[in-house]
Amino acid sequence: MTFSERLHCGLLGLPDVGEEVLLAGWVDALRDHGEVLFIHLRDRSGIVQVVFSPGPSGAEVCTAAAGLKAEYCIRVKGRVVKRIEGTENPGIATGEIEVAATELTVLSKAGTLPFPISEKSMVAGVSAKRDESVSEDLRLQYRYLDLRRPTMQDHLVKRHRVAKIVRDYLDEQGFVEVETPMLTKSTPEGARDYLVPSRHYPKSFYALPQSPQLFKQLLMVSGMERYFQIVRCFRDEDLRPNRQPEFTQLDLEASFIEEEYLYSLFEEMTVRMFRVGGVELPRPYPRMTWLDAMNLTGSDRPDLRFGMTFKDATDVFTNTGYGIFKQILGRGGCIKGINVKGQSERLSKNILQNEYAKEIVPGFGAKGMTWMRVVDGGLESNIVQFFSDAERRGILERFAAEKGDVILMIADPSWPLVCSALGQLRLHLAERLGLIPRDVYYPLWVTDFPLFEATEHGVTSSHHPFTMPDRTDFDPEKVDELLALKSRAYDLVMNGEELGGGSIRINDRALQNRIFKALGLSDAEVEEKFGFFLKALEYGAPPHGGIALGMDRVVAMILGTPSIREVIAFPKNRSAYCPLTDAPSTVASAQLAELGLLDLGGAGQALPGGLEQQDLVDRLVWVSRIAIDDAERADIAAAVADAKNVAGLVRNNSGDDEPMTSVVVVENHTREGTTARVSEFAQTGEIFKNAPAEKGGFFKVAAVLE
Amino acid sequence: MSGIYTYKNVLTDAPAGAASPLAGVRVVVQPNISVRGWPCDAGSKALEGFVPLQDAEVVTRLKSAGALLVGSSRMAELGFGLTGETSVRSLGEGADVAAMTDTMGEARVASATEGFFGFKPSFGLVSRFGLIGLVPSMECTGVAGRDLNSIIDIMTTIAGKDPNDPSMPDEPPVDFTSTPQGFEGPFRAGIVKESLDLLNETEAHAFKAGLARMEAIGAAIEEVSLPGYSLFRAVHNTVAAVEASSSAGKYDSVRFGHRSPQGRNWNEMYLASRGESFRLPVKAFLFQGAFFQFEDYGAFEDACRIRNRLVRETTDVLGAVDFLVFPTRRMEHDAWAAGSVRAVYESFMLTLPANVTGSPAVQVPGCAVHDGVDIGLQIMGRRRDDARLLSAASAIASSVLRG
Repeated sequence: MTFSERLHCGLLGLPDVGEEVLLAGWVDALRDHGEVLFIHLRDRSGIVQVVFSPGPSGAEVCTAAAGLKAEYCIRVKGRVVKRIEGTENPGIATGEIEVAATELTVLSKAGTLPFPISEKSMVAGVSAKRDESVSEDLRLQYRYLDLRRPTMQDHLVKRHRVAKIVRDYLDEQGFVEVETPMLTKSTPEGARDYLVPSRHYPKSFYALPQSPQLFKQLLMVSGMERYFQIVRCFRDEDLRPNRQPEFTQLDLEASFIEEEYLYSLFEEMTVRMFRVGGVELPRPYPRMTWLDAMNLTGSDRPDLRFGMTFKDATDVFTNTGYGIFKQILGRGGCIKGINVKGQSERLSKNILQNEYAKEIVPGFGAKGMTWMRVVDGGLESNIVQFFSDAERRGILERFAAEKGDVILMIADPSWPLVCSALGQLRLHLAERLGLIPRDVYYPLWVTDFPLFEATEHGVTSSHHPFTMPDRTDFDPEKVDELLALKSRAYDLVMNGEELGGGSIRINDRALQNRIFKALGLSDAEVEEKFGFFLKALEYGAPPHGGIALGMDRVVAMILGTPSIREVIAFPKNRSAYCPLTDAPSTVASAQLAELGLLDLGGAGQALPGGLEQQDLVDRLVWVSRIAIDDAERADIAAAVADAKNVAGLVRNNSGDDEPMTSVVVVENHTREGTTARVSEFAQTGEIFKNAPAEKGGFFKVAAVLE
Repeated sequence: MSGIYTYKNVLTDAPAGAASPLAGVRVVVQPNISVRGWPCDAGSKALEGFVPLQDAEVVTRLKSAGALLVGSSRMAELGFGLTGETSVRSLGEGADVAAMTDTMGEARVASATEGFFGFKPSFGLVSRFGLIGLVPSMECTGVAGRDLNSIIDIMTTIAGKDPNDPSMPDEPPVDFTSTPQGFEGPFRAGIVKESLDLLNETEAHAFKAGLARMEAIGAAIEEVSLPGYSLFRAVHNTVAAVEASSSAGKYDSVRFGHRSPQGRNWNEMYLASRGESFRLPVKAFLFQGAFFQFEDYGAFEDACRIRNRLVRETTDVLGAVDFLVFPTRRMEHDAWAAGSVRAVYESFMLTLPANVTGSPAVQVPGCAVHDGVDIGLQIMGRRRDDARLLSAASAIASSVLRG
């Protein structure tokens, strides 16, 4: 039999009983019953139990099977038999049958595994849930083993399925997938670029794309009308736990369309995508303007799986006698609050005052928080005595408050600050009180973003400078007028996360010029940065718009994984490092020299492999992480020079004995009468007595990055 | 607090019963031997403010044998050399014996300078649990004292397998109890001819006087050869620097010790904290270690090869004679003033071979004297032959007392 006749383990079942089959895969688990050996044989399709017993298998095959270990790659021939009643394993799809082996070939052996791979128990009713404490870096270092786990394979298969649905659907809708370049021009907008040095143009760099934004717009100018691409994008941003330096984006652009077209297209597409995870999203998706989102949730990506939205209470206190509010309102401020329904039992005075008002809310940037518990006969608080009867009634009415509720208010002269702090407080409380329902998906379009944000010197684009404004009759020199402009941009938000976003673009060169003028860019700057693109707008650019969706994030949400790394085959870790390949790594000076990078920084600037790194003492400072000062340098250089001489001396006299690291023979053995345990000093916290800095039961250190 | 002690114990414990083997013996320790609750900075800013949570095994044994721990002395940074070291000086001021780490001969050279006995036991005899060390394969807790008997008593107490020290070999214990009376002369003592080149004229005379003292109690002195003798220093320097660099890796300013306020991120925190933690010459020594580790690891392996050869040559020679004899200290190379790695090594040239081979060695005062200068007589024995070595030293010492 050749591999062409091979069947798949997970697809066998009762109809196959009596058939002779050829299987190949990996030993998932073994159970040795003396004469009889059971193994779980796993391939991508699933698991089947294979039995080696002297009768059907013969002594030779049994002997060979005795040498099997987990994750050996094997080929097995055998006959499918029904399991004896009572020995079925409902934990696997093929649990009603097993394969009585007649031939065994070890195709490839496996060494000691760094962590267990098997996820299925061989015995019915016993959980084989693997120990979740395998460190992620170890998993990433041996990713090829980690990906053997059925869970991980399922993630990759489903990811493929989602991508296929996207391609099929967009193909149906007349979209064409076009590839755009990976080596492009660095533009100073947005995040930091990853740069690629050019050998042919010394000291010049390509940039990896942060998104194919300009290229997709150029494709519209080209008349492609409907373009999409599932494309890798790169951003050199600060480290965040759930962020990757490279990520996959569904990028899409269409001509002769309005917003409604994209909403409907994207809703239908995302509904189909989420079905892969068994989630049925309700259409149409609700919409909310950016201003409403801010006023109700303090966030431009509202999590609406739960209520607790903001109420404005500014007018309740218009004539207040309470000094702090009076002062804030006098400076044009506002007062907003939330009603934490029926939670007064769990939010004691102590928690509200000492935790939230004193610690947590100041951490959100607000100066303070006003809390009131609704009790029989009114409000209980540390400041309620400063409120008039009318104000108390006004609060109860505004927040539709009932006994057992807790009302929290934040007041500040700055509207954005009130929104932001109260928004963070809303999320914090929802998390703490368990108010966020699981398995609920709440998609939402957020629209009508401001086109510009204020800066010290004028305005900057909220989205990017190619976004179409809602009105075109503005004066680019009047900052107030500019800040009142809305953009024709939209974000698709789900459960408090931004899944994607886009906008209708500017296709008129004159309008684009006025936007640049509003941004304070000179003609020369504009020409240098975007000249090639603006020229294209002069040749009959059609009206167009588009949207992009973060595929990693969406797939992670569809599959409900805790991090996006679970749905990427070979991700970087949280520190943007690849434990499998050890990337990024240093390169040889010769490579840098060839690229003309050695003297790039000029005098006094350290570059990898550059002159400063060449200095032996500085290199040792770095590898041993011991700084030296100028006064010590000469002595240390002399000692290192001595060490070099000593090295020469021992080299010339080394002889051929084995290296001896200890003059005594030390046997490794386990300490008698002891078991693994947590140190009592760790348990009592005494271990922190000598720590230079401790916080909350951890050693406190400087940030990994600045 | 006197200049000798970094910490002076308030002795409130009831005196141990007379039956306790070390009842009333006053012991000073270096501040790199952990005593729960005592400051213990090993003379380094790297351990600024460090107070151990647990006693070292040596301390546990001393306490339970009834010894009085009088305090901890000052010491050279991380026990590298003798600059600032005070434990031997304490022997005149409140202490009977000093427990001090011997990495390249510190206990012996310090004792020789002050005219005391100093003993470095065989490697692997005394637990290093709770010792804040620098060179794990060479250092051991040595003892300095005014007389040999108290050194023997201390050794009887502190030697022996400790399950908490995984670097100790599975060997039967060495019996120190029969030591003082156990000596049966006569013995053969070898002088290593390659070592004699190191001596100046006064030292040569003094050494000759020491040898005469040995012959007077019936020792047969003969000249032997250790062809690799001149490589001991290079081997010690290479291996010790690498081990020191590795041992000092734990001074990361996270769990204990000095934290610099400078570091804005993790790497800078390490760089600045460790930069401020170490002084010369230890800092330079750590750079030598880093050089071997990161730039020329082959040299470290070569040094370990030579170490194997030196151990074999030494063992062979000690098969032909009972002991090897050397002077202890060098008049022109003052260990207490050595400010560079090179100067430190120069001052321990005569003692460091015993650390490379793990052999026991004892410094005897009062016999290698010329023109009123005592350079110390150092006798080195076979590994685990500590008891007989101390017996021979006792015999020589009593002959000195008898005049």
